[in-house]
Amino acid sequence: MSNYYNMPKLPTENSPKVEIFVDDKPVMVPGDTNLLEALKAVGIETPHVCYHPFLPVSGNCRQCLVEQEGPRGRMLVIACYTPVAPGMKIYTPASSARVKNARRATQEFMLVNHPLDCPICDKAGECTLQENYMEAGQNESRMRPEYGKNYHGNPAHQFIDAKGQLRGGKHVDLGPRVLLDEERCVQCDRCVRFMRSIAGSEQLQLAGRADHTYITTFPGEKLDHEYDLCVTDVCPVGAMTAKYFRFQKRVWLLSHTPTVSMDDSLGANIWLDHADGRIYRVMPRCNPEVNRSWLSNTSRLAFQNFGKNRLPFMGFHVIQNLVSGVKAEGGKIALAAGGTCTIEDLAALRMLKDSLGDSAELFGGTFKKVGSPDGIAMSGDPMANRAGFKLMGVPENNLADLTKRAGEFKLLLTVNLDIFGEDASQASALEKIQNRVVLSAFNDETAAHGTLSCGVRHWSEVQGTMVNSLNILQKLNACPVCPDEKIRPAYEILSELAGCMFESAADAFKHAGKYAAALSGLSYDTIKSTGKLLEGGEA
Amino acid sequence: MRVIRQKPMTLGERLYIFEAIRGLWTTLKHAARGLFDYDSLPTISYPEGQPEVRSTYRAKHRLMLRPDGTPRCVACGMCAAACPAHCIFIEATQSDDPRIEKRVMRFDIDHLTCVFCGLCVEACPVDALRMDTKVISFEHRTRDEFVSSLYDLTNWNPADYPEDEQSQKAPGGTLNKQALETWGMEVK
Repeated sequence: MSNYYNMPKLPTENSPKVEIFVDDKPVMVPGDTNLLEALKAVGIETPHVCYHPFLPVSGNCRQCLVEQEGPRGRMLVIACYTPVAPGMKIYTPASSARVKNARRATQEFMLVNHPLDCPICDKAGECTLQENYMEAGQNESRMRPEYGKNYHGNPAHQFIDAKGQLRGGKHVDLGPRVLLDEERCVQCDRCVRFMRSIAGSEQLQLAGRADHTYITTFPGEKLDHEYDLCVTDVCPVGAMTAKYFRFQKRVWLLSHTPTVSMDDSLGANIWLDHADGRIYRVMPRCNPEVNRSWLSNTSRLAFQNFGKNRLPFMGFHVIQNLVSGVKAEGGKIALAAGGTCTIEDLAALRMLKDSLGDSAELFGGTFKKVGSPDGIAMSGDPMANRAGFKLMGVPENNLADLTKRAGEFKLLLTVNLDIFGEDASQASALEKIQNRVVLSAFNDETAAHGTLSCGVRHWSEVQGTMVNSLNILQKLNACPVCPDEKIRPAYEILSELAGCMFESAADAFKHAGKYAAALSGLSYDTIKSTGKLLEGGEA
Repeated sequence: MRVIRQKPMTLGERLYIFEAIRGLWTTLKHAARGLFDYDSLPTISYPEGQPEVRSTYRAKHRLMLRPDGTPRCVACGMCAAACPAHCIFIEATQSDDPRIEKRVMRFDIDHLTCVFCGLCVEACPVDALRMDTKVISFEHRTRDEFVSSLYDLTNWNPADYPEDEQSQKAPGGTLNKQALETWGMEVK
């Protein structure tokens, strides 16, 4: 299809306010957006299926109908594609029976052949059709049992079931990560628009017409893209399901922790959905300035390794004695931090350096390749908190210096830095250092090469902050999935080594303000869920 | 409000001895009835004698079976969601049968926690869970044995439910052959 769609304009804080009349009552709404967003801004939710704030408007579901006063009287218009104009008169179901009926009829048509398999549908509980049914539908079923529900889509997947009904396409393998249920699809074409406009690789298409329409890939090709799991998020029904989460957990049993992905320096905002002490899935958290509603497969599927191969908390007193011993001897100490260290960890590290005096030196960085931003939800930089390192005055690119001067040091302390795993050939020079202490969440290569290793909490299990590549200060929240309660956050261990233990992450953040002027005066409460843009940063 | 006033005792009652003898006589009468005319007693001597339980009584659960012997349960979790005691534990997995998407992998009911309210049966969208086994006593040696597993819940005999049509469609039932044909399996 060569349809040209427009991206919706979303209201911002600076949107001009205009007066429109909703149900004959004057309200002030953002003036540079569509009606659906404008009504949302004043607290009126409009049910919609095909509209998505970060996808081009297609307007094919007709669920968001409202009435507008025009030159030829009151007409039904779709709220998602009608721009706001000053003085326009809008009627919602609150006052107009016609809108109510129209929405109900749309809803009924959408459900005519939609299977009633909510009990086995993974989307049940967060399904747009279910929500719309409660809001706009609530119609009694007019389905004739002898006729039943029928599937008219892809002829290749049709079959007749035991009850004699025409069924089809219950698990169509779209690609390595996504399964399609063709019966459940409502042809909103959100996934098509996502692949076309956001992912930039048109791998999905609508085939057929009217109620014979079905979603498909091109013949012989598969849906395979770095962002292909986003189609399962944008799918308003359970048609697109992710293979990794299929049938794992009913969604209402999941608890959600809002946090930030530390896989990449863009710091994509995510929800960690957890239950029974483990993470079941990672969902993108909407942040218009950072990752919008998108999340790369790499960040999304990384959670599968969070609980595996963990390092236990051990040997802390030995580390304490070692550090004070080397300090007493006057030997030089290298403190090396990895990209997933939060601002709190860096504050503790700076404090440790100050307590050790001139004998200690800070290092940081990564041997991983730094890529370029993809414009969706990745900056390509594997060192997540690079801007935070700069802000806190911790070097963020001098690991080569560390390996070159490895002979000078008596003790190496690495924090969340898998230096041997990233580049073993360069890191092998570090084996010259007599004592190698490793603080790491995982029992990785560096822990294997260290003389002493101690487990710390993973970034998904700590509270903290990070500064992303756009210089936005973002907040991480602790998801209660730590495999062992004894494992402590890195900032706690480092600050105790420094001789003044931080009571909490907030305490550590307050200390960070001493090292970075941009952070002083801030507290966790002043950082919004979408982050806080820093002005004084150097990045 | 009704006030019940006790009648004052008569002289015979106040003398006590006659009333005491009358009470002893009642006890003696019932003791003699138990010895010589046991069957006419209204009580049952549990556990040798078992009470008559109706099929509508909310007894131990069972899981209904499809004609091919797989549990009907689709692991939707509605029963667990409805359960006020949180005693149902379900894990789902992908079914090998192409006609069925989701099947139950683990279905545990902790009968120590269960309050036998029957909400799980009400909630079940596929009539998989029932409480008509008439099993009303639970006696086990360890706590773990009170947790009924999937095997335990599906291990029932259609012959015990002669009146129930749905039970007869399970393997071993009288309607199984017919049901299998509709189900689309080959009847051997």
